[in-house]
Amino acid sequence: MSYLSIKHLSNQIENFSLKDINMEIDKGEYFVLLGQSGSGKTRLLEAIAGLDHSSGSIRYKENEISTKNPEHRDIGFVYQDFALFPNMNVEENIIFAGRYKEIEDKEDYFNDIIDFLDLRDLLERTISDLSGGEKQRIAIARALYSKPKILLLDEPLSAIDPTFRNSIMKKLKEIHRRYDLTTIHVTHNFREASYLADKIAIIMDGSIEQIGSPNEVLNHPKTIDIAKFLGFKNIFSTRLIEKEFKAEYFSVDPNLIRIVKEQSDCCDYIFEGKVEECMGITDHFKLFVNVNENQFFIKIPKREYESCLSESKQSVTIGFNEKDISYL
Amino acid sequence: MKLAYKNDTFNIMLIVLAIVIVFFLSVPILKMFVGVGSDKLIDAIKDGEVISSILLTMKVSLWAMIFVIFTGLPLAYLIARYDFFGKSFLEAIIDIPIMIPHTAAGIALLSTFGDTGLGGFFKIFGIEFVGTEYGIMIAMMFLSAPFLINAAKDGFRKVDPKLEKVARTLGASPLKVFFAISIPNARKDIVNGALMMWSRGLGEFGAVIILVYHPMTTPVLIFDRFSSYGLSYSAPVAAVIIGFSAMVFLIIRFIANRFD
Repeated sequence: MSYLSIKHLSNQIENFSLKDINMEIDKGEYFVLLGQSGSGKTRLLEAIAGLDHSSGSIRYKENEISTKNPEHRDIGFVYQDFALFPNMNVEENIIFAGRYKEIEDKEDYFNDIIDFLDLRDLLERTISDLSGGEKQRIAIARALYSKPKILLLDEPLSAIDPTFRNSIMKKLKEIHRRYDLTTIHVTHNFREASYLADKIAIIMDGSIEQIGSPNEVLNHPKTIDIAKFLGFKNIFSTRLIEKEFKAEYFSVDPNLIRIVKEQSDCCDYIFEGKVEECMGITDHFKLFVNVNENQFFIKIPKREYESCLSESKQSVTIGFNEKDISYL
Repeated sequence: MKLAYKNDTFNIMLIVLAIVIVFFLSVPILKMFVGVGSDKLIDAIKDGEVISSILLTMKVSLWAMIFVIFTGLPLAYLIARYDFFGKSFLEAIIDIPIMIPHTAAGIALLSTFGDTGLGGFFKIFGIEFVGTEYGIMIAMMFLSAPFLINAAKDGFRKVDPKLEKVARTLGASPLKVFFAISIPNARKDIVNGALMMWSRGLGEFGAVIILVYHPMTTPVLIFDRFSSYGLSYSAPVAAVIIGFSAMVFLIIRFIANRFD
């Protein structure tokens, strides 16, 4: 029995639709919904929270909640831009839910949240003069104060200075454990997903395309579109390596393709190609090699090569090993 | 004064044209006070008929404003938040009173709420529109409600719908969200619109005089004195209503700014 079970969830608003979403989320799970901008991630969170009219079923511990209004679903929501109430100060924002809900041990709970999120000095401030990080902590505190059973985070790191992202990701995990939450976190960043997620779902054009463990989804994408979205490079037909029986396509990490000087010390697969372009980047060269009209992208560390193999159409031998191949 | 461009000819042209319009807007108002003379102003303030007409005008305009706050804010919110069939038509209907001559509006109101079936229906509840404060109120409301409704509509549009959505997830019902989030965050536009409506109501003459000559609102009193006794009797009354309105307007504006 899943903690949260979503079955056949669909909706259509203007020209975009969520199509037959099915997801099972366990108690205490950190579930990451990964997708590009416009793929329907936020729309799906809003549908789960009951903020849009949708068809289908949402069951929380076997109780149907899709018929309930958002105020009765006990779902906390943190928007990408935090959506703090401008007509209230920080403290009033945090305790907003207390006006409408019975909060157990509310003073202790409030103090615990503001100490944990380091908000005590901000309580009297108006929200207009806060930094992105402060606003985020307040938005999370406001959602936590309502004691949600499920916490929905909509791209919580996108408005945060990149220097603070790692520490905030760590904090999000701590919050998730400390308050015994089941979290659905939406992002387009697969590094964020791989760090945070217990389970990942890939959403594309309003449909869930793949669900699984981070290792399964991030390393073994089911389709070429997912692979491309996840940053897979060098996606080619398996005919090139004569492994059609394994899958239709394969992919090799550009860092794991080598320039072969002596064939004896390398590799399971070796190809002759011509250099099409070579670019020097800070610590590596980006090399594009044409092998029978397939363009391989290779990254070579600068410490291994003194200068770019840049002479156009220069012949080169490249190689990679079976263990470094992902079959799609 | 810092000017945007260091181009003397252009700047001089801007300033001269600005002075022309400021002259036409301000001099008649100043002339009311300077030209009338302090003794006539004081006489007008002491005149019971003048004061009671000013109080009546302010009071009834306030009623009209309050009525539109209760009924027009929901309408403004509906228009700002939802798309529905006939929305553009509804917005056009709201704007019609701004465009039509006020006397024509008075005739329209008299033909609707005068000695008609609808007028008779309201009479059942003791509400008559001809020659009563209700008549003044409906005339003021008809012509000045668009100012409040349109301002509130703009105010609600500026409130991010995500604020309302988050408030719902935090336990607030739609009605509570409306009062706790939507109205407070659109407050500035609503207050401006309400002030605009109230002050437009004070000046309403064309429609009021067709429905209600007595009791006299101040614009009707000014017209009455002007047509019966001439300029020197009507000017002090005009100066007093301008002074009172400006005072109330400034006080409310000051209070509203304090809350921002």
